[in-house]
Amino acid sequence: MPFLELQNLQKTYPDGTRAVRGIDLQVDKGEFIVLLGPSGCGKTTTLRMIAGLEDPTGGQITLDNQNVTHLPPSQRDIGFVFQFYALYPHMTVQKNIAFPLENIGTSPADIEAALNRVARALGVEALLDQYPRQLSGGDQQRVSLARAMVRTPDIYLMDEPLGTLDAEHRLELRAFIRRQQLSLSITAIYVTHDQEEAMSLADRIVVMDGGKIRQIGSPSEIYNHPADLFVANFVGSPGMNLLNGQLVQHGDSLTFTRPDSDIHIPIHANIAPMRSVLTQRHEDTKTQSSMASKQVVLGMRPEFIRPANRGIPGDVILSEYQGSHGYVHIDTPIGELVMRSTDRFAIGEKIHLHLNETHIRLFDPDTGTALA
Amino acid sequence: MRVKDGVLKYGFVGPALIFLIAFNIFPLFYNIYLSFTDAELSGGATQLIGGRNYGVIFDDTRYSTALRTTGLFVVLAVATELILGFALALALQKPFWGKPVITTILLVPMMLSPAVMGLYWNFILNGHYGVVNQALSVFGLFQPQWLTDPDLKLFSILMIDIWMWTPFMMLIALAGLNAIPNHLYEAAAIDRASRWTIFRRITLPLCSPLLFLAVLLRTTDALKQFDLVMAVTGPNDRATQTLSALLYQVMFRGYKIGLGSSYSIVILLIVIALASIFIRYIASIQAKQGRESA
Repeated sequence: MPFLELQNLQKTYPDGTRAVRGIDLQVDKGEFIVLLGPSGCGKTTTLRMIAGLEDPTGGQITLDNQNVTHLPPSQRDIGFVFQFYALYPHMTVQKNIAFPLENIGTSPADIEAALNRVARALGVEALLDQYPRQLSGGDQQRVSLARAMVRTPDIYLMDEPLGTLDAEHRLELRAFIRRQQLSLSITAIYVTHDQEEAMSLADRIVVMDGGKIRQIGSPSEIYNHPADLFVANFVGSPGMNLLNGQLVQHGDSLTFTRPDSDIHIPIHANIAPMRSVLTQRHEDTKTQSSMASKQVVLGMRPEFIRPANRGIPGDVILSEYQGSHGYVHIDTPIGELVMRSTDRFAIGEKIHLHLNETHIRLFDPDTGTALA
Repeated sequence: MRVKDGVLKYGFVGPALIFLIAFNIFPLFYNIYLSFTDAELSGGATQLIGGRNYGVIFDDTRYSTALRTTGLFVVLAVATELILGFALALALQKPFWGKPVITTILLVPMMLSPAVMGLYWNFILNGHYGVVNQALSVFGLFQPQWLTDPDLKLFSILMIDIWMWTPFMMLIALAGLNAIPNHLYEAAAIDRASRWTIFRRITLPLCSPLLFLAVLLRTTDALKQFDLVMAVTGPNDRATQTLSALLYQVMFRGYKIGLGSSYSIVILLIVIALASIFIRYIASIQAKQGRESA
């Protein structure tokens, strides 16, 4: 039995907006799940439905063997961290953190002990007598985390908790959240639009778009084997290079090409199942040509492209330097490519590129889904 | 044509300044001067008589009665208006069908002229032909003499004031309630706060600075209560004579300008004292919550 289960979860607002269009997800105890997607993809609505802050219009939520679909937040055992902290402005830090315990009738001595424990863990001991407005954004979010962690709820829900913080505090708190989660075996669902944050925190990432799940998988699965074009483009900074072209079979070999160029990229045998896709398609369309072909999108991460003595020719049109490495934009006859490189190139420089064949991904241009 | 900045500056500020001096500053100081004289509207030589007027005030039983009447009126009116207004605001907080219409209807009494309302209520509460007593007679109930019974007169004026000014409290309270961000209620729901806890520890404290402001405005206004008294019982009724009514009686019926002026100074001092206490209190609450002081 999964600890948390969402079954065909849906939310349609009274104005007809379908924010969430049927989500199925199973979360095990102690797992760190990140809901990742662009703004408006339904990730926050999903999180708020799990919390009970939004009432689902369809589907079911099961938490710890209990159907909680329509229960108010107070009857679910959850901790929630809001994007904009949601600290009580008229209470001191101490009162803010103690509030959840006071509401469940914890004794003053136990409140004191719990307060000291989380205040130390989150480094807010010196702030206990201050009011939220006197604190920086980072400190406010620490207090907000402390308030969520002072109880030990079944599950922690975090809605872009680091979204408003500056880079320095973001990295620090991110590492802290993950350490706490691992050491206490906390079950957590974390919403973000920042794919880097998702990669570094998650046991599993749930990529969402348009109110639906696009892919569920470990960070490396999501990164290396994106289920569709959306995931390929959204995950990674910059995203995958995506080239439109044709997959062509000549006897035993497969190549990727474009009609308007004489460049042929050999497709490695690891995409052998492609052949069957190709033949099926061939039979369906009853093409009599001896040469089977299919429109595809070729995907290639920037780090699997490298400069070579020969290969795809191109002109450097932009070079983004980022310290340890850089991203070079190259105009080639098959389209613009972004290459990750530790070497630096001048704009206008003519180079040749080699694509690492084992890392080529192919997608169906019509459905967007990954082939084979 | 070019006008020098300096000249222009005075050109802009000048009219307002002249208005302020002519209608506020000068009358205030002239009033203070008059309060130390024996000036009468009927004429005659005006003489400085020192603080004798103030001595008269504190020996006058009409003054102590009016002070008590005004105090009772202010406390009962403002407290009832606050409680009713806040309750109405809480009821109107969440959207429901017909809310805009109901809100508008509730605001009507506030928009009418107090003097006109006083006259209307005079008819409505009239012991013989008033609508209220007519209605009571239909059910065979006791018909109180709302406007002539000495024990009821002040209560009747109080009711009219509450009817008129509860909407004002409601309006300010609604503004206060709407200013509380929804995510605080969400956080409180997550933190398992009961409805009563949410009201007591979130809604009330966050609303209170605005409520205090409304109480301040209503208190200073109620302290000056005159028009309803004038319209319902007249200014010289012992049971309903407020400080302002007494001032009117002394000054414009008794023609004693000097004595009347000293009454007005006393009223002014009471209002200023109460207002500054309230303002300090509001500022201290806001400072505690880390807000910018008003």
